[in-house]
Amino acid sequence: MKQRYFSTFQLILLALFSALIIVAKIALRTPLQLSGHSGIFWMAIIIVGARVVPKLGASSLIGVTSGLLASFMGLGDFGALNTFLSYAIVGVVSDLILWILRGDTENIVVAIIVGIFGHLGKFLTKWLFGIITGAPIGFVALGLLRAFISYVVFGAIGGILGWLTLKALKRAGFFAYMAEKR
Amino acid sequence: MDQKKRILIAGVILIMILGVVLGVDYLQRQNAAAQAPANMPPGSIPIYVDDTFVGSFIPDDLSQLPAVSFVDAEEGKTQDGWLLRDVLLLYLGEDNLQDQSQVTVSSSSREKGKTLSWAEVENQKNMVMFDLSGRGTLKLVSVIPGFDIRDSWIQDVDKIEITSP
Repeated sequence: MKQRYFSTFQLILLALFSALIIVAKIALRTPLQLSGHSGIFWMAIIIVGARVVPKLGASSLIGVTSGLLASFMGLGDFGALNTFLSYAIVGVVSDLILWILRGDTENIVVAIIVGIFGHLGKFLTKWLFGIITGAPIGFVALGLLRAFISYVVFGAIGGILGWLTLKALKRAGFFAYMAEKR
Repeated sequence: MDQKKRILIAGVILIMILGVVLGVDYLQRQNAAAQAPANMPPGSIPIYVDDTFVGSFIPDDLSQLPAVSFVDAEEGKTQDGWLLRDVLLLYLGEDNLQDQSQVTVSSSSREKGKTLSWAEVENQKNMVMFDLSGRGTLKLVSVIPGFDIRDSWIQDVDKIEITSP
């Protein structure tokens, strides 16, 4: 019998990571009034998810599933399509970068780069949507630069947080346990 | 290709993306400046009173306005910015606004608008205010029942109109 690309167990894990993104988005509140601050936990979850299910497409699946959940829950200010695409693109770009960098998120530099680019994917989606829908240009000059930097910084912090979580999971023997399960 | 080279390329791509974003934003600003009246800086919000252009709300005005904030009941997020009341008083003065005056804030790109009476806007408890969105545009938010959820708020505001009775 042909083996499926993702096992049922892996799909359940990925679905849990998707749900975790939504829960974190709703429940975790940071006192930072800066755009993109949610990238801190968002990218950490993506990076951990991509390592727990180390297959190409895992991050994309987390992104797409969390995007569907977020759209149906009415999250975001700019409509369901914008919400879906901005959530999905985080996973797709993370996957792409992991593939290009040969996917070792246990390397802190790789984790940071994945965090930055994955999170920037969300920024670019929102920005492109703004252009397509003819949204007015920013009220504050250089506001876009500030938002860009903010997304890069929070994506990088998310990458570090994800890397630290992976390190802690490894120390706790999580991956050895998972290998036994397989 | 070794890992160092890949990381270096990632850095270059990051800088290229930043360049493209800022370049497009610059072109949009140039375009907006060319189309707007001479005294209206790009990105500013025009204010009309009875269909007459009286001025535009510009970023420089923000330093003159007190910052306010509230936590929205729907998602528990802090909305912070500047009261619409303060913006209008800065441009029009209290004498030009009556309780029955209608204030319409709209967004042409989102094809949305909200009309409130000056009495509602003036009441600071209603927190009718502009919050700066992530992409730098203004969003009209409030705690007025019925106008206190994200779906009803006006994102990407690009016009303020006042009509007198």
